[in-house]
Amino acid sequence: MSRHHRVIPGLPLTLGYTLFYLSALVLLPLAALALKAGQMSGPELYRVLTDPVVTASLRLTFAASTIAALVNAVFGLIVAWTLVRYDFPFRRLFDAIIDFPFALPTAVAGLTFANLFLKDGWLGGVGGHITAGINALAHTLGLGAPLPADALDFLTFPYTGQTGGIVVVLIFVGLPFVVRTVQPVLLEWDPEFETAARSLGADSATIFRRVIFPEILPAWVSGVALAFARAVGEYGSVIFIAANIPGRSQIAPLQIVTRLDDFQYAQAAAIGVALLTISLLVLLVINGLESFSRRHERQA
Amino acid sequence: MTIEIRNISKSYGGERILRDIDLKINSGELVALLGPSGSGKTTLLRVIAGIEQADEGSGPVLFDDVDVSNVDLGKRRIGFVFQHYALFKHMNVFENIAFGLRAKPRRERPSEAQIREKTQSLLDLIQLGNLSQRYPSQLSGGQRQRVALARALAVEPRVLLLDEPFGALDATVRRELRRWLRRLHDTIHVTTIFVTHDQEEALEVSDRVAVMNAGRIEQYAPPQEVYEKPASPFVFKFLGNYNLFHGRTRGDEPGEALVRPHDIAIARDPNAAGASARPGVVTHIGFGGAVVKIELETEDKTHVDVEVSAPTFRDLNLKRGDKVWFALRNAQEYVPDFVI
Amino acid sequence: MAGAPLASTSATLNRRAANGNPRVRALLIALTIGFLSIFILAPLVNVFAQAFAKGLDGYLAVFWPPSPPEGATLGVIQQRKLAEAAVQSERTWSAIRLTLAVAAVVVPLNIVFGLAAAWATTKFRFRGRALLVSLIDLPFSVSPVVAGLVFVLLLGRNGVFGDWATHLSWPDPFSLRWVGFDAGFPLDFERDFTGVIFTPLAIVMASIFVTFPFVARSLTPLMESQGTDEELAALSLGASGWRTFWKITAPNVKWALLYGVILCTARAFGEFGAVSVVSGHIDVNDTMPLRIEKLWNEYNNQAAFTVASVLTLLAVFTLVAKTAIEWKTARDHATAEGKQ
Ligand SMILES: Nc1ncnc2c1ncn2[C@@H]1O[C@H](COP(=O)(O)OP(=O)(O)OP(=O)(O)O)[C@@H](O)[C@H]1O
Ligand SMILES: [Mg+2]
Repeated sequence: MSRHHRVIPGLPLTLGYTLFYLSALVLLPLAALALKAGQMSGPELYRVLTDPVVTASLRLTFAASTIAALVNAVFGLIVAWTLVRYDFPFRRLFDAIIDFPFALPTAVAGLTFANLFLKDGWLGGVGGHITAGINALAHTLGLGAPLPADALDFLTFPYTGQTGGIVVVLIFVGLPFVVRTVQPVLLEWDPEFETAARSLGADSATIFRRVIFPEILPAWVSGVALAFARAVGEYGSVIFIAANIPGRSQIAPLQIVTRLDDFQYAQAAAIGVALLTISLLVLLVINGLESFSRRHERQA
Repeated sequence: MTIEIRNISKSYGGERILRDIDLKINSGELVALLGPSGSGKTTLLRVIAGIEQADEGSGPVLFDDVDVSNVDLGKRRIGFVFQHYALFKHMNVFENIAFGLRAKPRRERPSEAQIREKTQSLLDLIQLGNLSQRYPSQLSGGQRQRVALARALAVEPRVLLLDEPFGALDATVRRELRRWLRRLHDTIHVTTIFVTHDQEEALEVSDRVAVMNAGRIEQYAPPQEVYEKPASPFVFKFLGNYNLFHGRTRGDEPGEALVRPHDIAIARDPNAAGASARPGVVTHIGFGGAVVKIELETEDKTHVDVEVSAPTFRDLNLKRGDKVWFALRNAQEYVPDFVI
Repeated sequence: MAGAPLASTSATLNRRAANGNPRVRALLIALTIGFLSIFILAPLVNVFAQAFAKGLDGYLAVFWPPSPPEGATLGVIQQRKLAEAAVQSERTWSAIRLTLAVAAVVVPLNIVFGLAAAWATTKFRFRGRALLVSLIDLPFSVSPVVAGLVFVLLLGRNGVFGDWATHLSWPDPFSLRWVGFDAGFPLDFERDFTGVIFTPLAIVMASIFVTFPFVARSLTPLMESQGTDEELAALSLGASGWRTFWKITAPNVKWALLYGVILCTARAFGEFGAVSVVSGHIDVNDTMPLRIEKLWNEYNNQAAFTVASVLTLLAVFTLVAKTAIEWKTARDHATAEGKQ
């Protein structure tokens, strides 16, 4: 297609509209962020980003996101594998609800998890529930109450104000990314390869390690990276479950909100730029991985 | 309508796909664009259609001596049949064929009754009257092909352009459909260009064949001439099986001669084979019905393929290992002063 | 949300081949069911359990507070309670109205944008196209809080366009009233908003930012894979650009479009971070998610879950629709492949 004549109509209109809309609603606001952060001098910027409260929030965001991403790396892979390879009751239902964290508003996720992990919540109070159940059973058998009420309190999930609760919701929001990137690769996987490997005498573990795993590795890593990126930016669900104490249980996005509420726009912008940079770096890694595996595929 | 293109070039990203192509097609002619994969056939067809634009500095595309280079695809009044048909998946056969009529501007649009009548007559023409309510996914490849043709014909195009019309079909259906296309062309007489990489198809159906190679037209002539007087070794090789003989010219330059297997005479007696007959030993005999393929090995260990008719073979009564004499009846020499 | 592919997830072939160690298999199935039950099913069920903690009456009372019994004299405390309940439910209704209004603006705008962007990036090749595609995806990798922040920095009091934006006056569409013909035009807005940040306009902008890629993203892969042949066929038959789009492209992508619209709507209803930042915690700017936060902060657990249950139902509907669309496209695909 040369410059002066295109057969399919509509390029000037659609491209023009796309560029206008994109610039007005995404690029211009992002430029404002860069501008505000750029107005700070170097030392000032350094001071903001090394403020103990800020560093603590960044550290918390990273630590929680990393742990959540690692948990998702393991369980996401197991879930994807199981959903693709095995048949079990309600498999289709479980498959469908994987996307639930995509669809559920983050505020609702935070609300329900905060409630689940309350001391008397379904999961937070699991030790107490079990103790009460055993005692009730013993009571009906006429054995009195054999267990003290706090016997199983070690099962109680450490949640309030601590990293634990934050990690739980970040696992929730990140799970679909891992499952949904690994799943298609496993689905496309041709079982013939496996049969061939088996006929050559390889056992299941070897086949997984040497044949299947290398195949899903790029997808798996980008899924984990996506889950991590999502966790770093997550706000809605976390603030419901965390105690949000500055310096201890405040995540970085909440720091931005706090600064904004104090009218410290430049500081908010600086933290915003830091977060955005991280997301873009992760995005870059994912793009690199994708083009790597595409090239890999073409060679094969 | 006549089509004439002059000096057309087309590049993609600096790579020249079409090189200075000239082509003139008479009104009502059926022309085949024949060439190997990647030779630029589709590109040339799309330039003629107006789907692609030729490079800056190319000559015009003339329809009836009118330059249409800057006329939109929709205004050129061409019927284009895509290699994979590009039928509208969500419309049934009837609606597919009627699409072009319904898309006409209100002033030119026929009435609903006329549209129905016209579509029905096209359905009859392609012999699919009973399948008009089917969707493309419910048709066989050959049926889809015919629907695509009918859809293109509905708007009464001045030119019909077909990109590998039978490419995706199996051999029997192909043969059937290309005869059908020839008959159809004989009834409607619309100027037609069709792309193919199957030489048999091109030779059998067309009035003239344009043989393409690497973005150039190597020869443009009626089928018989292309076959019997190939303009270049490429054309010769592309049009059928051949034997290649290396030799020397009188000036002692290396050269080659090309001979079709059926253009080699074979006999048990050196004198019966013809002038300058050479000896060979039968190494293999392949029965192929009306034609028998014989493989010979010459003294200098080169292989020669020979084809003889079944009666001739019966008369020769050959076995493997027999010594025979062969002579070239009709060698094409592409270097002057060539001797074997 | 970036990675939700519209892929079918059935693999009978793979599953049949699965014949590993039964103990490993049982362990993995148990882990999967356990993990998904704790992390997905439990929170889902918990929403409804908490919402109905005070029974159906308590649930409904969040929206329709009980009115005082006819003729009864109430104590001061009870009167206070009833009045408070009425205020609370009115705030909830206001949040529902605002959420619907925002989505009603955001979703159509994003549909138009998504269609335009997908058309431009899939039907044409131009320099910078890959960059444009990544830019369209950009909002997915921006933290919602940053998405709100950028608008505050652009249009807030100290923002780049702060001076202009804080004095901008625009009418509240909800205040449109009939004023009779005395003043000329019979319709008028009773209220104006001043400024952008901390008004519903900012909520609309922030919502557009975060929901921006959904429609484009669900259309692009499909339109890319469908190529341009059908469009070219329609154009060659004389159809106009619009007709080609409405009759050929749109029907081919309608399910993907619907899918994108559903995702976009769900996110527009549920967005929290970005909206929270630009809403200024003002009650009239509350959308449903913000309302949930306020109720939660007021220790009104059951009411918070009641509002949450509405959004959860919407999420469940989203999943059902997604599954249905996937099922439908897989079936269409199967029929299209079936008779190839
Ligand atoms: N849009 C394009 N961009 C870049 N290169 C192209 C494009 N279209 C075609 N080409 C190149 O142009 C050359 C000729 O392509 P064309 O499709 O015309 O060949 P063809 O003769 O029709 O081959 P076939 O028999 O395989 O269909 C090929 O090398 C192809 O790679
Ligand atoms: Mg071709």
